Amino acid sequence: MMDRTLKALSLMLSYPSQELQEAMPEIGAVLARDTRIDHATRAALQTLADELAQGDIYDLQEGYVMLFDRSRTLSLNLFEHVHGESRDRGGAMVSLIETYREGGFEPATTELPDHLPVLLEFLSTRPHDEAQEILSDAAHIMDALGTRLTRRESGYARVFKALSQLAGMQADGEALAEMLAQPDDDPTDLEALDAVWEETEVTFGPDPNAGCPQVRDMLAGMDIPKHLNRSA
Amino acid sequence: MSHLLDRLNFFQSNKLEKFSDGWGQTTSENRNWEDTYRNRWRHDKIVRSTHGVNCTGSCSWKIYVKSGIVTWETQQTDYPRTRAGMPNHEPRGCARGASYSWYLYSANRVKNPLIRGALMRAWRQMRAKMAPVAAWAAIQNDPALRVSITKTRGKGGFVRATWDEATEIVAAANAYTAKTYGPDRVFGFSPIPAMSMVSYAAGTRYLSLLGGTCMSFYDWYCDLPPASPQTWGEQTDVPESADWYNAGFLMLWGSNVPQTRTPDAHFYTEVRYRGTKSAVVSPDYSEAAKFGDIWLNPQAGTDAALAMAMGHVILREYHLDRQAEYFEDYARKYTDMPMLVRLDEKDGHLVPGRMLRADDFDDKLGETNNPDWKTVAYDEASAQIVAPNGSIGFRWGEEGKWNLEQRAKGTDAQLRLSQIMDGDHDEVVGVDFPYFGGAATGDFVKCDHPEVLTRNIPARRVTLADGSSALVATVFDLFCANYGLDRGLGGEWVSKDFEDDSPYTPAWAEKITGVEREKIIAVAREFAGNAEKTRGKSMVILGAGLNHWYHMDMNYRGIINMLVICGCIGQEGGGWSHYVGQEKLRPQTGWQPLAFALDWNRPPRHMNSTSAWYAHTDQWRYETLRAGEILSPTAPEGDWDVSLIDYNIRAERMGWLPSAPQLKTNPLEVSKAAKKSGKDIPAYVAEQLKSGALQMSCEDPDAPENWPRNLFVWRSNLLGSSGKGHEYFLKHLLGTDHGVMGKDLGEEGGVMPKEAVWHDEAPKGKLDLLVTIDFRMSTTCVYSDIVLPTASWYEKDDMNTSDMHPFIHPLQAAVDPAYESKSDWEIFKAIAAKFSEVAPEVLGVETDIVQLPLLHDTPGELAQAHVKDWKKGECDLIPGKTAPNYVAVERDYPNLYNKFTSVGPLLEKLGNGGKGINWNTDEEVQNLRNLNGTVLNEGVSKGQPKLDTAIDACEMILMLAPETNGNVAVKAWEELEKPTGRHHAHLAEGEHHNKIRFRDIAAQPRKIISSPTWSGIESDKVSYNAGYTNVHELIPWRTLTGRQQLYQDHLWMRAFGEGFVSYRPPVDLKTITKAVNNDAAEGSPHVVLNFITPHQKWGIHSTYTDNLLMLTLNRGGPVVWMSEIDAQKAGLVDNDWVEAYNINGALTARVVVSQRIKQGTLFMYHAQEKIVNTPGSEKTGNRGGIHNSVTRTTLKPTHMIGGYAQLSYGFNYYGTVGSNRDEFVIVRKMKKIDWLDQPATGKVEAAE
Repeated sequence: MMDRTLKALSLMLSYPSQELQEAMPEIGAVLARDTRIDHATRAALQTLADELAQGDIYDLQEGYVMLFDRSRTLSLNLFEHVHGESRDRGGAMVSLIETYREGGFEPATTELPDHLPVLLEFLSTRPHDEAQEILSDAAHIMDALGTRLTRRESGYARVFKALSQLAGMQADGEALAEMLAQPDDDPTDLEALDAVWEETEVTFGPDPNAGCPQVRDMLAGMDIPKHLNRSA
Repeated sequence: MSHLLDRLNFFQSNKLEKFSDGWGQTTSENRNWEDTYRNRWRHDKIVRSTHGVNCTGSCSWKIYVKSGIVTWETQQTDYPRTRAGMPNHEPRGCARGASYSWYLYSANRVKNPLIRGALMRAWRQMRAKMAPVAAWAAIQNDPALRVSITKTRGKGGFVRATWDEATEIVAAANAYTAKTYGPDRVFGFSPIPAMSMVSYAAGTRYLSLLGGTCMSFYDWYCDLPPASPQTWGEQTDVPESADWYNAGFLMLWGSNVPQTRTPDAHFYTEVRYRGTKSAVVSPDYSEAAKFGDIWLNPQAGTDAALAMAMGHVILREYHLDRQAEYFEDYARKYTDMPMLVRLDEKDGHLVPGRMLRADDFDDKLGETNNPDWKTVAYDEASAQIVAPNGSIGFRWGEEGKWNLEQRAKGTDAQLRLSQIMDGDHDEVVGVDFPYFGGAATGDFVKCDHPEVLTRNIPARRVTLADGSSALVATVFDLFCANYGLDRGLGGEWVSKDFEDDSPYTPAWAEKITGVEREKIIAVAREFAGNAEKTRGKSMVILGAGLNHWYHMDMNYRGIINMLVICGCIGQEGGGWSHYVGQEKLRPQTGWQPLAFALDWNRPPRHMNSTSAWYAHTDQWRYETLRAGEILSPTAPEGDWDVSLIDYNIRAERMGWLPSAPQLKTNPLEVSKAAKKSGKDIPAYVAEQLKSGALQMSCEDPDAPENWPRNLFVWRSNLLGSSGKGHEYFLKHLLGTDHGVMGKDLGEEGGVMPKEAVWHDEAPKGKLDLLVTIDFRMSTTCVYSDIVLPTASWYEKDDMNTSDMHPFIHPLQAAVDPAYESKSDWEIFKAIAAKFSEVAPEVLGVETDIVQLPLLHDTPGELAQAHVKDWKKGECDLIPGKTAPNYVAVERDYPNLYNKFTSVGPLLEKLGNGGKGINWNTDEEVQNLRNLNGTVLNEGVSKGQPKLDTAIDACEMILMLAPETNGNVAVKAWEELEKPTGRHHAHLAEGEHHNKIRFRDIAAQPRKIISSPTWSGIESDKVSYNAGYTNVHELIPWRTLTGRQQLYQDHLWMRAFGEGFVSYRPPVDLKTITKAVNNDAAEGSPHVVLNFITPHQKWGIHSTYTDNLLMLTLNRGGPVVWMSEIDAQKAGLVDNDWVEAYNINGALTARVVVSQRIKQGTLFMYHAQEKIVNTPGSEKTGNRGGIHNSVTRTTLKPTHMIGGYAQLSYGFNYYGTVGSNRDEFVIVRKMKKIDWLDQPATGKVEAAE
């Protein structure tokens, strides 16, 4: 009944611990059997499982904290990428909790409901179609996180590749492009962060009718449709 | 979803039920669309809280919570109404606070306890084999291992930990430190209790039970204006913002109310509609400047010159040429102006000396109690010299005469203000005044007047007790001469004409400040004219800007003098409104027992942070300012030309300032040795100090025994915000990569300190453990060894008060702390529990020895009428008199947790109180037993009131404080009646049964009750105004004379030329050396600018500069502001990346080029974080630094004075302050922007 693949991926994205290291061979074996994931990705996941099983636990933990606790653009709280610090975030999380309750579960964790391993564990208990639908709604976030992790040469990128395949559909290209256009913001990629906040140069004259370039860019930005959130 | 398919567009049923005569109709169509709104507003509960964004604005918000998640929030608007005729406090709130709410769920939050990976590896390895304290000792005793951990500070590498493991490391480190070096080596820094007083108290309660050091903040932030204790004996007390509305003439001086005090700014708008005129003094065209009817823009740092010129005009027109009756009467009753000052002879010249005291005269003027602390004046009624009521000698040791009644020896007195009339003086003599206008350096205007100005004074010759005769003058006469006013006595350096170029005339001030003399004269006249007509309703709102200069006291005293000579202090609508630092903890005396564990042991260990950081971050090793440069040319003979750290050592030795650590030897060991010797502790310590067997730690800050070993930082961003000399913190305290470019005195071959021990090799990495408690990954967290995640403002129960309004406001846990975080109260409780568990490995019940300085508001403030140093053999070492006191305190380490979580027995044994008033509080402790419940477990705390939750702690504060418990207020006022001999309890009678509880303030913010802890009253007749009870209840100010003290007669004040106010140009810190300025050497474009750090509107202090919403409104990263002219000089255009540097370090930022900025100045708004968008510095090769990377703190000897009336130590009351505005930087365009986005590992080796 339980989709053990989703459960395995939930575990893979959890904070490395001794217990998790010991379970990695089993987790790897579950993933190796699931043909919804293509062969190359399965092989790559196996490598990740090996790395997580055999790596020095402190190195793995330091890496995890640096990636997922300290880098905003890699946050595993999905709504960070949808709502950021906007007031819609609270309502969206309540909707998600209600979804969990409708599924027969009470959250029993200090993590927020939009934490990806929490969502994946929930989906592992849901019928295939429903799980796939919810995953496909978030596919562009998975793709973006996967791409960002690939850029950092992190093995965790493979988990997101697998999730995209499990969603069973192409991510919305435009939404993905928009997300990827947002540069990374962590302590090791500051140049990109600067670009986010850099203002367009203001030029006065010789054509005073050309309009204000800042406003023009801002309006152009607003033209890109935003449809990132399933629960809003 | 569309509802079109469900709805009839063209039809309406004719079968619908109608009611109310056809006016109502029942429909049956689908109404699901309404769910959109139901969902949007859904909630299980609404909770009142506020954003303590390092702010005490107490703006009330409704937090909507559904399923444990904050879904929505709206502003509350139910603050109690003000009295008729006054605008209300609501609406309150600002963009900064509003942007907080969703920060709750930000990815910036710290989710779990984090520990540096290198430390975690070492700890687990040791802990597997050993008990906790032994494991920590093993790490510390392996130098290579220790340095491998300290060197990685600031370079990432955190792993998650459980609370159990994290608290065990902390507890083991604390226990090891207490056992090995002494508990005073455990430091804790947290600022501004008023914004969340229980969270503050949690940490200091733990430290105080441990014997750790609680570090001050108000002075370190340089928000403490020393001029306030100097003048009033009061840390800071100010009018509430609503009182602006009562002003008739309102000056904003260096304050930017619309930008930095947004929730209160409406009172400023409203009073202008009422017709009040406003003058704004600000070098830049600030947001406040546009509200001014007149704008004065002096060169930054020259405010004292402007204030003194205004004082010159006011004295001339309202006190000399014509005597405004109200002003003269006020000066006689409420200031030290009638008091007599002895004129001392020095090298054939006369200089103002000490104020005369009763014991200078025959028979001590009949005064037997403290005659050396009773100042004297000439009484016109009895035609003799008298010691009038109210001076500090009357405060201690007798009752009934410490008041401002115009009486002496039980009869009415009429004090003489001036001896100018022919019959009133015996001689006209020349008296020397120092003049510092010629000391200006750099861009500041240098005057060519001599450094000593001799002016004529009317003096009397009196016979003293020893038969000698002395010349005496009134403070008023000296004061007028100091302002350069010609009174027809002839002589030089006085003027009748505002156009003369003579010190302190408007024409002279124009030259120095750049403000036209006509404007100076006009503002002075309107200010005084309004005060005369309204009896004191002229007000000055002044900001930290003026207080952050090295000579801040001159700026402040210049302005305070204007207010005092116009009778504005203590009058509604008038006065001194210094709103800086959010210092006002209204229920202070209820909070102190909680915060400093006074219910279990007294005294706590307090330390003034400025002196501590100066010593322990080794900034003193780089000191470029010599005392000789700031000494007065009129200084009395003395050993003055020593280093600033030497002054601090003397001050600690004489008991003026506190010390941390205190003794080089572990105090737990000293007590054992004392016991063995059979002597009592003070006598033993005194003997050992005199023999040299014991040493004070201050004499050798670099010796490993004297390092601070553990540091807690909570509610603060010490390294990202307030750490003046940031790079020195990194280099010496933390021992990691740093950007210090200067060399220390040893390497430079500079003049060495006389008393401080010099080690050629400076220590790097003094701290064994840095623990930061925060809810976001701040710059300080990034450099810490352990980061503990704390609750934010919607996740904890706490309280918030402000000096801006008289209400007390709750913070409430609307939701549980997110992720693994806990409230500060629960965190320190957990550490306390773990400590009690771990400590028995090495500690039991121990005797600690606490070194206590001579404290203000205790009889100790009468300790030293004369300066005498025991170490130089000038007097004997008498603990508590000529030196600090040494007090034995029992530490029951295994029971620390039990003590933390219960209210101890000392409140019933010793009572409670503050500011020199003490009252019985048995009834309140009993009430707490009933309210919080009692401890049932056997042990030290059995039967005591419980203190388990943060709400229990709130109830303790509210129950014990006079401000929130009317019964206590009445008791406190009655206690004050004893020394004053006057009836005061009427101010609180009727409030007897008013007791405010936590649930009351949760229902609505409550106005506090009038209390003698403060100098204003809560009333339905007047707004809260500081000094009100001094003027209207005749309660003396807590100063030498009991009056507003305009003349400072302490030896060190006279030595450093600050007996009277004067204009002192900024000091030269010599940070732009040839060696550092390679731009000058290479001839590349650059500009040298004065560097200042005002407060911004995109962040409040440290807390908000990494909020995306706020960053989006600014430029998204660090910026500096510069004038167009300076930009042109340096070849810069707007938004260029620039580097600003000097020998202290370097910072990188984008430049904002604006007409708003005055030429010569570089602004960098306070606390822009290094963690946001900051590239590497080309100069240092490290990440580009913060605003404090180019500063270094410098001490001022006059701030170290102690044991002398109002100039006595109090925590956050008096002491050295962290000035930072006299600094200059070189600014140049960056050639290459390097984001340092390679892993840091390679650099560890490269770093020195």
